[in-house]
Amino acid sequence: METNLRASERLVRKSRKLSLKNPERNGKIVVYTAAFLTVVATLAVTVFLAQRGLQSFYMSDINPLEFFTSTNWNPSGDNPTYGALIFIFGSLAVTLASAVIVAPLGIGAAIFMTEIAPSWGKKVLQPVIEILVGIPSVIYGYIGLTVLVPFIREQVGGSGYSLMAGIVVVSVMILPTVTTLSADALNRLPNGLRSSSYALGATRWQTIRRVLLPAAIPGLLTAVILGMARAIGEALAIQMVIGNTELLPGSLLDPTATMTTIITLNMGHTTFGSAENNVLWTLGLILLAISYLLVMAVRFLGARRKI
Amino acid sequence: MVTVALPETIETAFDVQGLNIFYGAKQAINDIDLSIKKHEITALIGPSGCGKSTFLRSINRMNDDVPGFRAEGLIQYDDINLLTDNIDTVALRKEIGMVFQNPNPFPKSIAKNITQPLKEHGIRSKRKLTEQVETNLRRVGLWDEVRDRLDTSAYSLSGGQQQRLCIARALCIHPEVLLLDEPASALDPIATAKIEDLLLHLKDHYTIILVTHNLQQAARVADSTAFFYQGEVVEHTDTEQFFSNPKEKRSEDYISGRFG
Amino acid sequence: MNRKLTDKLATLIFTLFAAVIVLVLAALLSYVLYLGIQQVSWDFLTSKSSNFRAGGGIQDQLFNSFYILLWTMIFTIPLGLAGGIYMAEYAEDNKLTAIIRVCIETLASLPSIVLGMFGLLVFVNTFDIGYSVLSGALTLTIFNMPIMIRTCENAIRSVSPQQKEAGLALGYTHWRTITTVLLPSAFPSILTGIILSCGLVFGEAAALLYSAGMTTPNLDFGNWNPFAETSPLNIMRPAETLSVHVWKVNSEGIIPDIRDVADGGAAVLVTANLIFNISARLLGSWIHRKLTSK
Repeated sequence: METNLRASERLVRKSRKLSLKNPERNGKIVVYTAAFLTVVATLAVTVFLAQRGLQSFYMSDINPLEFFTSTNWNPSGDNPTYGALIFIFGSLAVTLASAVIVAPLGIGAAIFMTEIAPSWGKKVLQPVIEILVGIPSVIYGYIGLTVLVPFIREQVGGSGYSLMAGIVVVSVMILPTVTTLSADALNRLPNGLRSSSYALGATRWQTIRRVLLPAAIPGLLTAVILGMARAIGEALAIQMVIGNTELLPGSLLDPTATMTTIITLNMGHTTFGSAENNVLWTLGLILLAISYLLVMAVRFLGARRKI
Repeated sequence: MVTVALPETIETAFDVQGLNIFYGAKQAINDIDLSIKKHEITALIGPSGCGKSTFLRSINRMNDDVPGFRAEGLIQYDDINLLTDNIDTVALRKEIGMVFQNPNPFPKSIAKNITQPLKEHGIRSKRKLTEQVETNLRRVGLWDEVRDRLDTSAYSLSGGQQQRLCIARALCIHPEVLLLDEPASALDPIATAKIEDLLLHLKDHYTIILVTHNLQQAARVADSTAFFYQGEVVEHTDTEQFFSNPKEKRSEDYISGRFG
Repeated sequence: MNRKLTDKLATLIFTLFAAVIVLVLAALLSYVLYLGIQQVSWDFLTSKSSNFRAGGGIQDQLFNSFYILLWTMIFTIPLGLAGGIYMAEYAEDNKLTAIIRVCIETLASLPSIVLGMFGLLVFVNTFDIGYSVLSGALTLTIFNMPIMIRTCENAIRSVSPQQKEAGLALGYTHWRTITTVLLPSAFPSILTGIILSCGLVFGEAAALLYSAGMTTPNLDFGNWNPFAETSPLNIMRPAETLSVHVWKVNSEGIIPDIRDVADGGAAVLVTANLIFNISARLLGSWIHRKLTSK
């Protein structure tokens, strides 16, 4: 029996086997590779998009200032111009407006779920809303197209295809996202906060407003920012209802376009390497940069949350 | 069953000298010396945070992964210092088994809780595995209670039964030493009594180190008792003597419930 | 205003918000399902689509959706598992881990149309795979990988640390503790996560427009040779998925029965999504119950 060996013979590590069949080491190699791949993928996306996106400026000789500030978009004219402000404005308008609409609604619903009817909220609302987070965006677009656009056309005016339709569709889309994330943020608050406030005789509303909301602010902001990330990146649902005209909208009822919709529509029928194609990559690069910004914002808020 | 025949002359299982343990800047164990005898139950007592669990977990190197953990000094075991870097922790933990405060059976059937570790250590024969399930469950007095439902989840057992299953699981891979970290503190008095009874039976074959909060428990089962206080060993002596006639003032205060 | 009254009012408003959300969303779902049910028939599910004639079905698109999903999962599940294990068990609290986390978060929040562009640039053009099942699946792998990594990481982290201690104290190596103790315990949540992400992948369209393409060759469902041009199994052929089809029909279709196909396709998409979602939850909790009690 090996128990006759001394401890120094039983328990001291033998020199490392160089065999290929060392599961401990092979496992480590596999998981490190996977983790490393995420970095490679991110770098690849960044490098490839930057490389193509910047071509607009150094190969197609588009003036960056004009690109970002001009609304003059006429790539197929004799003297083509590439002012992309319309699309940048469209994306920002849709994103900000939907955030303004959704933030109070989503946070309000999250408060209902966590503070007012926690058991019902957990059993019924939470699963329902999580299901809605997963509904494909083309479905939201399709409903927008078949219900919302005709409704706006008949009841409000215009052709129905409009900035307003885009904002409403995106709002409905990101509402479940913001609601679940807000509910998570509120659920993370220690229960002591609630009980100590109630023990001081505060009503539920006072507890929510003076104690819970201030404590949850970083988490709630994160929820809204992640909603905005989804809004600014959404392509097909908006494309289906916004009208896709290359004009700055004069009102909410005018059609317009966003960065994602112009990419969706034009990527297929522009020639690779042409100036008109290059600007689409530039718009993609801008979207990527915005993603980075939003991730940084979320991380910043996350760091604050720990304090 | 392996009752290990090591040379009779070696009576000491662990010889601890000048042990210091740190978590980052905080010192958890402060220069302790301790000698633990073979085939005895040694109880480690003391108030929470006194370092007894830290010491226990440094014997089988379970603290290695804790960030900032650092141990210096000597834990002599047979002919090696367990704190040296080149210890094969896998072989070490196989030889020095551990049972934790909260029963932690695997979420599998009762039988698999025994067969899985055996398979992990290379036993494949079906016959041997079934045989070992019975042997080890008998050893902890669980066989008659569960023989008809070996395939049901370990979580269908009561807390006390789960803890005995965990002891059987630790025993099945033939350790020499059993480290028990407050094994009965989550259990009711009847289950506790069963565990204590079991430990008294096991000590003929194993060296047992028992961390406990419960002074009566130490008095009931331990051969010798070491009193830890603020990272130091205040007194280590024969259990009877410790409880009837402690040498140190602090031991006396602790036993009589003046602090801790 | 009296503080009791304010409290009542606030409660009322929050309840109203929640009610509005539930009502609006319930209305949307029932609208899609109600209209769609009238279009969906066995014939609709099993006949080929038409580019200009009425009466087309969605057979190929449905097959493509599942086929691309299958390949995406073949790529993502091992990557997600390995990445999740790394994050939960190997990542130390240092700069490298922070960088990897930023990368995962960035990939997760990347607009899917941008991922689609990347797929077009790298898989379709640079690797010269062309519009294909493979390009689509690779693109969706990047889309799905961060989700899977997070799912697996959280699942592993939520296993009680006492389980890990049990394994280590029995002399299991770190790797064996992961594979024989942690992963089996994390399995129900991982499975739930996988099925939920299947739902997301199944419904994704924007990332596929320019990677899997918007057309399908005339598939011959009698030919299962994966190297044949018209074989459904060929991974080098373009493959329009169901969600891409629903988008295309709606936004640039010229068939006379756009509404019928759109209604039917949307209903099938939503139904598939609901099935993924509900089965994920039921299966997850069923396995969990099986593991932890009788």
